[in-house]
Amino acid sequence: MARIVKASTGLTGLAVASNPHHTLSALYGKILRAVAKMPQDASYRKNTEQLVKQRAEAVCNNKDITALEKAVGCGQVEELIVQAENELMLARKMLGWKPWEKLVQPAPPKQWDWPPAQIMDPKV
Amino acid sequence: MAGREAVKRAVQQVRPILSVDREEARKRALNLYKAWYRQMPYIVMDYDIPMSVEQCRSKLREEFSKNRNVTDIRVIDMLVIKGQMELKESVEIWKQKGHIMRYWKESQDPKPTDFLSKFIQGIN
Amino acid sequence: MAAIIRNLGARIACATLAAKHVVPAATTTLRFSSTAPAGAKPAEKPTVRKPDAAARTHLSDFGRYVAECMPKYVQKVQLTAGDELEVLIAPEGVVPVLQFLKDHHQAQFTNLIDIAGMDVPCRKHRFEVIYNLLSLRYNARVRVKTYTDELTPLDSVCEVHKAANWYEREIWDMYGVFFANHPDLRRILTDYGFEGHPQRRDFPLSGYVELRYDDEKKRVVCEPLELAQEFRKFDLSAPWEQFPNFRNANPPTEVVQPAEKK
Repeated sequence: MARIVKASTGLTGLAVASNPHHTLSALYGKILRAVAKMPQDASYRKNTEQLVKQRAEAVCNNKDITALEKAVGCGQVEELIVQAENELMLARKMLGWKPWEKLVQPAPPKQWDWPPAQIMDPKV
Repeated sequence: MAGREAVKRAVQQVRPILSVDREEARKRALNLYKAWYRQMPYIVMDYDIPMSVEQCRSKLREEFSKNRNVTDIRVIDMLVIKGQMELKESVEIWKQKGHIMRYWKESQDPKPTDFLSKFIQGIN
Repeated sequence: MAAIIRNLGARIACATLAAKHVVPAATTTLRFSSTAPAGAKPAEKPTVRKPDAAARTHLSDFGRYVAECMPKYVQKVQLTAGDELEVLIAPEGVVPVLQFLKDHHQAQFTNLIDIAGMDVPCRKHRFEVIYNLLSLRYNARVRVKTYTDELTPLDSVCEVHKAANWYEREIWDMYGVFFANHPDLRRILTDYGFEGHPQRRDFPLSGYVELRYDDEKKRVVCEPLELAQEFRKFDLSAPWEQFPNFRNANPPTEVVQPAEKK
């Protein structure tokens, strides 16, 4: 096992990943598949797809772990794995919530007005 | 008639706390009453209060009948939730003797009503 | 626009990698850049913190990004006090929005700093519940606000942020806002047998009852409060306005307009 580059991540509770490239590409593939079930024009889908594709490309291009961390620029590889896991769970939950629909309930009038002295007059 | 329809629709739109109809709310209130009723001997024993079980149960009935005129389902639910919390506090002996005896309000004299007792107490 | 947020993240992350410390390095670099503007004239009010222009644009871009991703729940996005981002959402969206802010790659607001309550009795939905979030990754804070009234339950965010447990109990105790699906909702600050919710505007400052030790009964007894003063006039017209000079002097909130459709 000459490929181990670091002894520790330096972060409590975060063990060094044994095969980060494989884990990451699998996770990114899963995210893309989950996101693909959303409607085409959903902004969340577009943004996530763009970002995840970018990262998947970086994973493909950089075989060295340090280079990959540098190319993505969002923490260590292990942290990237955690982020990808979170995003995957989020994407699956989003399918149930459908946040790309139109506003569920407009704000009641004067709800977000601040100094309250200005909204005293009529009891709405 | 139209007004009543509007009221009905408004009632349907609010988010229920626990119960969706009156019958369910009534059942919850009755269940809470029964739970208190059954726990009464243990409460009397655990807290060593100078009251009999019967006195406690009549106090329980009194506390419930204070809110007998409540008709809003959500208000009933809220009262049931608070009663449930209070029951738990009593049964788990988080309270102390003084907290239980607070229901009887023994140290409070009733407010004077007729002239002479008002005069003696110095209230005019 | 998303690229700008990413650039910010990249910049912080580079600083992080260089210094090998996750948070303090990023914080100090940004703080130096914000508090010491080069060649600035002596300001009129030196004690008032100036909003950071760079942080402002990042935050308003991010606010627009959130509004664009979750149009179902976000009602309004605004900046207060210069550079504090507020996302105002409908009460149905508490869990989705907080989960999005926690788990999304470009948000990562993993720390729930606080949940606060606010009571404005003249509004239809009188309570506001305010979630303060911190993203260690991007060194950013965001405030999520929603509203409810006395009887409408809000969804508990305990399954998103574990820290919400006690904060929600506090809100329940102080304001009487019920949180649905909370694992352990009970009082946290008030005494057992206490009635009412003390932080509501209509709860008197002195309370309703007073406690004393009764020597005959050998225990604490509870009696209704009797003020020694005979007559007190309470001016209830506007309890917030003790200083009318500040009637319009609140820091104006700036609404972050949604991006134009391309």
